[in-house]
Amino acid sequence: MDIKKEIKSLLRHAELYKSQGLLNEALEQYIQAGRMLKKHAARIGNTKLLQAVAGRIRDLKAEIARIDASPDMSEVTEKAQNIIKEKFAFAEKEESRDLEGAVALVRFGQFERAMREFRQLMGREEFKLDAAKNIIRCHVTLDALDDAAAQYREWFDNEVLSAEELNKLRVFLQSILDKKGIRETLPVREPAPTVRPTVVEDQGVMDGEIIMPELVEVEVVGEEISEEEIIDISSVEITLEEGPGKGRTVEYDVSFQSGRVINLLISSSDKTLIETLRTGLELKKVHFYSPIAMFNGEGVVFSKSRIESGPKQGDYSLDIQIQHIR
Amino acid sequence: MANINLKKREVECKIVYYGPGRCGKTTNIEYIFKTFQKQVTGDMITTETDGDRTLFFDFLPMGLGKIRGYDIRLQLYTVPGQVKYSATRKMVLREVDGLVFVADSLAVRRKKNILSLKDLHENLKEYGLSIFKIPLVLQYNKRDLAEQGIPLMPYKTMERDLNRQLKAPSFPASAVKGDGVGDTLKTCIKLTLKSLKKQMGW
Ligand SMILES: Nc1nc2c(ncn2[C@@H]2O[C@H](COP(=O)(O)OP(=O)(O)OP(=O)(O)O)[C@@H](O)[C@H]2O)c(=O)[nH]1
Ligand SMILES: [Mg+2]
Repeated sequence: MDIKKEIKSLLRHAELYKSQGLLNEALEQYIQAGRMLKKHAARIGNTKLLQAVAGRIRDLKAEIARIDASPDMSEVTEKAQNIIKEKFAFAEKEESRDLEGAVALVRFGQFERAMREFRQLMGREEFKLDAAKNIIRCHVTLDALDDAAAQYREWFDNEVLSAEELNKLRVFLQSILDKKGIRETLPVREPAPTVRPTVVEDQGVMDGEIIMPELVEVEVVGEEISEEEIIDISSVEITLEEGPGKGRTVEYDVSFQSGRVINLLISSSDKTLIETLRTGLELKKVHFYSPIAMFNGEGVVFSKSRIESGPKQGDYSLDIQIQHIR
Repeated sequence: MANINLKKREVECKIVYYGPGRCGKTTNIEYIFKTFQKQVTGDMITTETDGDRTLFFDFLPMGLGKIRGYDIRLQLYTVPGQVKYSATRKMVLREVDGLVFVADSLAVRRKKNILSLKDLHENLKEYGLSIFKIPLVLQYNKRDLAEQGIPLMPYKTMERDLNRQLKAPSFPASAVKGDGVGDTLKTCIKLTLKSLKKQMGW
């Protein structure tokens, strides 16, 4: 083909790909056209065109970088949020779907709306505690521990939650605050429920934690675990059994939990860990820590995605499904 | 499995449009929204990000009338095609009843089509579904671009790449012009309802 024609055709293709939003493909065509223009400069002698092509290449590269850096999650319209809430709740039982719908909003990063829904759900006795806990989790995920503590104090000051419920929330949040090294002691509602201090060795309970009578039942959970049976997991310790970090044990806080699935945020700096924890990987040696006890068990990496915006940008969000706990 | 409400006598089926980024999934739904107004029962809801790429999903509710006294409701979704949205893609696929795989006919997108079909296969597997068993239709989109002298893959090549094992119904299409969009959807609905009837024992 005549060189001029060939260049013309490359440029035409580039324009079309660009109009289709196929930016990498467009870039490839411009780069080829640029190369040909340079190679045959003596014959063609069109320096203006070469400059124009160089300009296009520059713009496209900037555009590609900008789109790559665009967020994975951002606020969507209220109508779209309604669809998430109504259509992404799959629980068998219709009653559970309201709570699950609000959790779905969290999964799609719609935190403000999710918190509004949880606040409403607190008006229903059966959801009160779960909804409250999820509000705390949203604050924790947003790295707003001050807000989490302030929220607890607000509930502490009004009559929304019973002493027992407040106490559960306190144990839950206090363990997160302690983990993050935040020196804040949440107030205890009097009269405090009967507590029995214990030590790590004999009960498998974390140092300084308390056993709450009604939760001790969760000791042994059989092979098949149902959503309702799952206790709150605040952190996990995973022993890697493959990859470059084989044998290494890592500990991570749980950022939120939905039934059997727990979510962890893994720092972008831990590249080997991110690579090793591929979707579908079975984790045979996991310690699950709840605010009241520690369990051994197994899990599977359910999904993994890179966080593209916000304070955790570049980090990875990992869902682990709990398979067994003993 | 479709969502069946015995009390209200309603059945909700979910059809998902899957495929690589920029292949024309959203354009399909836009055309359906404009053209099949009689069946459309509500607004088309989109979640867009930069340069009209889908962020979470598009959503379009439709009604198909009654079967055995049950109101059959159809919900069309698209997934976000960009590779980086893999977690969202999987969430949108959950509890799918029927699938349209939209492939891009542009020769430069050959590999992306294959990768996206593989991604679909994997995601279905994780939900315990088989790509060979689920109601599935393939669409080879952007055929109109042939007129502009842009290299497209021949129909045969696309069949060989994507449909050799699946042997699913397949349609050439131009979503911008609307060619093939209706046929694709109708065939998918037919297959989905057939499988629904089987599940319901109708
Ligand atoms: N010529 C032509 N262009 C098309 C056709 N279908 C879609 N396009 C164009 O391709 C581009 C992408 O279309 P979309 O419908 O947004 O693609 P998508 O599959 O929803 O993309 P993602 O949301 O990123 O996954 C747009 O510029 C459309 O106008 C078609 O049949 N012919
Ligand atoms: Mg789209």
